[in-house]
Amino acid sequence: MGRPAFRTMQEVCVPVSSGHDLVTARREGRDMAVQLGFSACEATLVATAITELVRNIFIYACQGEIYLSMANEGAKSGMTVIAVDQGPRIADIDLAAQVGYSAAGGIALGLSGIKRIMDEFAITSECGRGTAVTVTKWRRR
Amino acid sequence: MSVTMLERKTAPQSLRGERESGEQHVAQDVDATLATRYRESLRSFLADGSEASLSRGYELARQALVDDCGVLELAEIHHLALRRLSAESPPDARTLRAAGDFFAECLAPFEMSHRGAQEGARALRHLNEVLEGELRRVAQVLHDEAGQLLASVHIAVADIASELPPKQRGRFKMVGGLLTQIEAGLRNLSHEWRPTVLDNLGLLPALEFLGEQIARRTGIGVSVIGDDGARLPTTVESALYRIVQEALNNAVKHAAAGSVHIELRRLPAGVRCSIRDNGKGFDANRQPQGLGLTGIRERVSTLGGALRIITGPLNGTTIQADIPLGD
Repeated sequence: MGRPAFRTMQEVCVPVSSGHDLVTARREGRDMAVQLGFSACEATLVATAITELVRNIFIYACQGEIYLSMANEGAKSGMTVIAVDQGPRIADIDLAAQVGYSAAGGIALGLSGIKRIMDEFAITSECGRGTAVTVTKWRRR
Repeated sequence: MSVTMLERKTAPQSLRGERESGEQHVAQDVDATLATRYRESLRSFLADGSEASLSRGYELARQALVDDCGVLELAEIHHLALRRLSAESPPDARTLRAAGDFFAECLAPFEMSHRGAQEGARALRHLNEVLEGELRRVAQVLHDEAGQLLASVHIAVADIASELPPKQRGRFKMVGGLLTQIEAGLRNLSHEWRPTVLDNLGLLPALEFLGEQIARRTGIGVSVIGDDGARLPTTVESALYRIVQEALNNAVKHAAAGSVHIELRRLPAGVRCSIRDNGKGFDANRQPQGLGLTGIRERVSTLGGALRIITGPLNGTTIQADIPLGD
């Protein structure tokens, strides 16, 4: 079973290039979510987001990394997942967010699905520097 | 390497052999391959409790969703799998809890899809509002600007005609007559698109007005009754107005109805609008195309309402739309 590339108190990085790595990223993400006080149900949604992010990496690039970290903003606390890959620049970001939508025949999985189960969603894509998708889920207070 | 993708459904014939005695009663439309795969994934998760097994469950359910499996169907599959595994070895509390976790994992793709559907419905409602707004704007321009311009042309033509010898005056009179027709046509169109009475006075007066217009234009009898209560939300008023308009169109164009009865009633938590005609009806099992029923259905479902269509050959047609209020 794969291992994270590094782990600090605040951050875990899992390189992903295979189905095994996907499982590692999911496990690390779920563990962190539970440690941060998310309910089992919310932790499942975090694992779901990680799965869809990794699937997305495999669509555009062969490999990438998943960064998991605590998130804080004012009184809110939660968890951030960042998916990074070195794949070709996504030419049309808005269109890319609909990839899951079209690929799954209007079922709204993929990136568009992640948007709905997480609280924050941002995607940046720069020429030569790959793509980063950042999602955050806040803890219910 | 790519994420494990599950194979698509195989042909039903090849499944029958896999169906085992304990699952004889599985409904015909439950995909037995999916059921078997689900059971085996659940079995491996109960044995090792690993994230890998959970991940397989997720992929299985995700593909099932893409293949049109319903959430109740998945629940049935889970139920059968758990029963089968329980028969093999009686589960303890921990196992039952783990089975619940596995099921929750498999519901995650459905959760995403569910949220997507809700978002879609909201977007559709918004789109309807935007369309109504556009229609209102076009109707206004048609009524105010085009109407006024035509009126000026009318006066100018009449002016010119008065200065001409009687023989030519007759031909200008004919032009005047045509202009009057165009004016009336434009006025009707703008009223139908966006009757000011709907904005100003509300749904019931607007329906009465619409009924009068249709009756005058086509000669059928239109009666409108209803509770004259407080105004409804704009989206509901617009939708019901369009529904009645469409139903009246159907009654005139397709059903050859002699009379139409429209009724608007408040329900405890909503509003009911029914449109009954005495036309030729249609076979409800072989719904004719292009009757505008699709549009009616869309409008009702966008507002989370329920639609009933009661009809039969020679029985007339009743369309009843119930729209919930208050959220």
